[in-house]
Amino acid sequence: MKVLTEEMVAAIRAYFPRYPTRQAVTLPALHVVNERLRSVPHQAVVEIAELLQLAPAEVQDTLSFYGFFKQDAPHGEQRAWVCRSISCALRGGEEVLDHMCHKLGIHPGQTTADGKLTLEFGECLGACDFAPCMLAGKTLYKDLTPAKADEFLASLG
Amino acid sequence: MAKVIVDGHEIEIGDHERLNGIQAAERVGVNIPRYCWHPGLAVVASCRMCLVETGTLDAQTGKITMLPKLSPACQTPAKDGTVFVTNSDKVKQAHAQVEEGLLLRHPVDCPICDKAGECNLQDYHFEHGQKERRADVRPFSSRRREMGDTVTLFVDRCVMCTRCVRFTREIAGTSELMVTNRGSHEEIDVFPGYPLANKLSGNVVDLCPVGALGDKDFLYEQRVWFMKRHAGVCAGCSTGCSIWVEENQDHVYRLKPRENPHVNQWWMCDEGRYGFHYVHSDQRQTGLRKHDGKAGTNYVAIDWGVLDKELHASLSSAGRLGAVFSPYLTVEEAFLLAKYVRELDPEAELALGPVLTVGNDERFKSGFTIRAEKCPNRRGVESVIRHFAGSCLSFDDFLVRCESGAIGGAWVTGGYPQPAFDESVARRFAAVRTLIVQDLWATPLWERATFQVPGATFAEKEGSYVNHADRLQAFKWAVRPPAGAWAEGPLFWRLLGRPGLYHAGAAREELAAEITYFAVASGTIPPTGVDLKLNQLAGAVT
Amino acid sequence: MAEFEPVLLANIDKPDSHTLRVYEAGGGYQALRKVLKELDPPKLIDLVKSSNLRGRGGAGFPTGLKWTFLPKDHPGPIYMCINADESEPGTFNNRILMEQDPHQVLEGIILSCYATRATTAYLYLRYEYPTALARLQAAIDECYAAGYLGQKILGGEFSLDIFIHRGAAAYICGEETGLIESLEGRRAWPRIKPPFPAVEGLFRKPTVVNNIETVACVTHIAARGAEWFKSIGVPADPKNPRDPGSYGPKLYCLSGHVNKPGCYEAPLGITCRELVDRHGGGVWKGRKAKAAIPGGISMGLFTEAEFDTPLDFAGPGKVGCLGLGTAAVVVLDETVSMVDFLHNSCRFFQHESCGQCTPCREGTRWALDMLERIKAGRGRLKDLDLLLEIGDSIGIIPGTTICGLADGAAWPIKNAIRKFKGEFEDYIKRTNPNGYQVTEAVPSMDRKVHPDSLMVIEPPWWHTAGAH
Repeated sequence: MKVLTEEMVAAIRAYFPRYPTRQAVTLPALHVVNERLRSVPHQAVVEIAELLQLAPAEVQDTLSFYGFFKQDAPHGEQRAWVCRSISCALRGGEEVLDHMCHKLGIHPGQTTADGKLTLEFGECLGACDFAPCMLAGKTLYKDLTPAKADEFLASLG
Repeated sequence: MAKVIVDGHEIEIGDHERLNGIQAAERVGVNIPRYCWHPGLAVVASCRMCLVETGTLDAQTGKITMLPKLSPACQTPAKDGTVFVTNSDKVKQAHAQVEEGLLLRHPVDCPICDKAGECNLQDYHFEHGQKERRADVRPFSSRRREMGDTVTLFVDRCVMCTRCVRFTREIAGTSELMVTNRGSHEEIDVFPGYPLANKLSGNVVDLCPVGALGDKDFLYEQRVWFMKRHAGVCAGCSTGCSIWVEENQDHVYRLKPRENPHVNQWWMCDEGRYGFHYVHSDQRQTGLRKHDGKAGTNYVAIDWGVLDKELHASLSSAGRLGAVFSPYLTVEEAFLLAKYVRELDPEAELALGPVLTVGNDERFKSGFTIRAEKCPNRRGVESVIRHFAGSCLSFDDFLVRCESGAIGGAWVTGGYPQPAFDESVARRFAAVRTLIVQDLWATPLWERATFQVPGATFAEKEGSYVNHADRLQAFKWAVRPPAGAWAEGPLFWRLLGRPGLYHAGAAREELAAEITYFAVASGTIPPTGVDLKLNQLAGAVT
Repeated sequence: MAEFEPVLLANIDKPDSHTLRVYEAGGGYQALRKVLKELDPPKLIDLVKSSNLRGRGGAGFPTGLKWTFLPKDHPGPIYMCINADESEPGTFNNRILMEQDPHQVLEGIILSCYATRATTAYLYLRYEYPTALARLQAAIDECYAAGYLGQKILGGEFSLDIFIHRGAAAYICGEETGLIESLEGRRAWPRIKPPFPAVEGLFRKPTVVNNIETVACVTHIAARGAEWFKSIGVPADPKNPRDPGSYGPKLYCLSGHVNKPGCYEAPLGITCRELVDRHGGGVWKGRKAKAAIPGGISMGLFTEAEFDTPLDFAGPGKVGCLGLGTAAVVVLDETVSMVDFLHNSCRFFQHESCGQCTPCREGTRWALDMLERIKAGRGRLKDLDLLLEIGDSIGIIPGTTICGLADGAAWPIKNAIRKFKGEFEDYIKRTNPNGYQVTEAVPSMDRKVHPDSLMVIEPPWWHTAGAH
């Protein structure tokens, strides 16, 4: 059962002219798949490898380095990264993450039972001027407090 | 010439040589510890075990300037004026720290780990390690994960040298092995459904400096310190990889490749590596037997001591003689057999035994090739035959001669890893009255023999093979043949009435003097063999 | 003291500052036009070299000098990689530049590629900057439409393509050759040097890797000249012929326990105290400062007494820090436990260590394990000695590792323990009164082991949810 749709294959191929090697399209290809499937299952790795003329192990090697791509199951509809680096930690970021974890009953890296949210810890999101912060999708949530976090969770429905 | 200084000792390096610090130090007898560097693979300098102090000697002033920081010897070229210091306190501390780092989270598996006794981690701990264990990790044993049919991985023993991954990418070109995850969570793995399955897979176990990768064929079979190793040549195909045959008490446990830049570099294929078990098969024939002469298939045991008289009697009255030379015979054995047979019958017909060809030559990314011709010495044997007979009969042609009744007495040598003479072949010897079959197996031909002469395998022979590229490599026996079997060489030596014990070297001197093709094979043969083509510069080749 | 007139942040308060219209209205791309007409690439390199511009990515290597390492008369292609992977904790100035003034950055990239004869530039952008991605891509599209990118730029012979290449949340991709490996599609394991990227870099071709803020400075050097650039900042030490000085404007990121965290532009050389008090509104909640990170967490720590150290390339080194780094200052107030601080730092580096070389892979892990134990009340005084030994031994400076991540991991350990030794000792003695001397094999992190043997049957917690 093929996992990559024609659209995904076309999107990946669109990167080919940018680079002199196919291997350089590995990370863009992983993102193409991840954006659509919210994961990069092993079958997708096999198909990407074929497109890029690599061995599946070579693509998997790169994929697993980042600790970013889920493989066994898609991440939640929303994926929220709560920063735990020094600037956010100094202003209560870890407490906010703890609070959210307890509220949702999951550990960082896990997805809520209803599949709505995957909560992750992030390392410095580069928004220390608004610490503590959280990146959810394309939105940066600034100056987080447990109360603001609750608002965010409520907004997920 | 380039002058390089290692720990105060000066050495000269040739202008054409490209050596790194590790290789330069080896010339001085200093063994710089290392895990990730291997001469056959790309340099990654990641293990950081080979850190040394480096500097330059100013030829004009004689002043040595050392760099303030350590450098890996594996990535430092030994150029004119390069200075290496491997024994300073700074270097010793670095070695101890790297070693300690690798031992921190290493499972306490030595008692159950195959690698004990030939393990870099063990050896370097004794030579370079810290004096006390300061790690605060509770002892544990390693997880295990299968890489494929031939190789298993003890995951937690891995020191992330990545030699195995580089091998599958650079040498085999199959890229089955990968590193997964990041940092201290890194592990070696294969992609699900794509196991380590290339025909050179066993080499990664040789490369692994610790006991992470294991040979499933050898796992838990024998402790390495009980084994003796003997320089040998693989009999699997005409590539003729140089090998080590490792045995204990006449039992071969393992074959490993032996470095030979002319033939196999540092590698051997799985077929050769794991294909030695037939040496100890319980199907091997032992005990010299002679057909009782009556109808039926009854044999009586005879003594090896009387064989020469028996054979002389039988063969002298057999009429035209013929001999089939197996491509598993050594050059010396072929020579001696030819001499013997031609002494009895100067017009004896000499033929090459069946040569098994499987598929095509298989070339891997680095150039290493497994050859389709699955025998070690066709070239050598053929050249001996040509010298004596002018031309070499093929096995098929010989069978035709036998069927036509032209051959009265035939000596057929075997020694193939699998039985090579089936009923369809055996039937064609019906007209041969005196049949001597010297082989390992009870084939249909063996069952028709007048004399059943148990022979020996490559591991039990002394002599030389010539590979596909006219390289002659010499080797000694690693194990003795089973009781009741004689290696071909000593038997032919005896039959020819030569005094004393069989000495392949003496036989080789003789044939090198007699046969132009082998002219350069006299004297001591270097461990990597000798290129017989050197002789071709002189002119015609037989 | 006269208020410094912003250079790099001059545009960001304008509405739609990220658009080409606003950028050009403010004089944007005039420098590019002038340079393409009046200077050939070697002259532009000379100009940048004479400005003594030093890289803003963390290493402070003179940019013009780096450009001269490219081989002359190379048939090409030559590549430029723009390092927008900004991941050093405390740092966010690149984000602001990319989101709010992307054309300033792009003009600098085009100029830099012109100088180095690069024909393709890859902008390696960290995953966590979606707004920067959108703004940069839009700006690049505007440039192509306006003829500032693509074939025969502004009618000349120079052609350039810029492609954005998105990362996937790995700090080590900000290391020069880690970035290159990641771009090539492999795991981001930094390469051994030599060969250096200028000789053999991306796709084994000559490559220059420059930071976002650095190329933004190139725009202004091209517009206003090297002498102007050198009129700002700290001059080179006349007694040290090798000192390139600390010239030019710098974006200082200020965060942590201050009233006004933010990005502030000042000439290189402002002191930490000035930055905190004048720009940052002082320490928050009326508290006193205890310590500050001078330039991203890799650089180590100032004590409060060291706050008068100038934040130029030479200053932090004088008080035992690694260097200026990304000039990201993070203030810690008097209530912060240095044990917590160091634990946070060690956790970060263990998570981000690429794992290829032994001292960093094992050292960062061992340091974290020890900090976990100490924090949990099972520390030993001996652990402090071990931590210092790790800190003193790992890194590219002693030569024991391939890249500088290990130095970044080591410096907070060294600074925190040496400058706050008493606090660590007190903490250990207080929380582990029975075991703080020397104990035998203190149990470390628990692994689930089989009850009948020591076979590990389940990886420890940090393999799943936690530290990875």
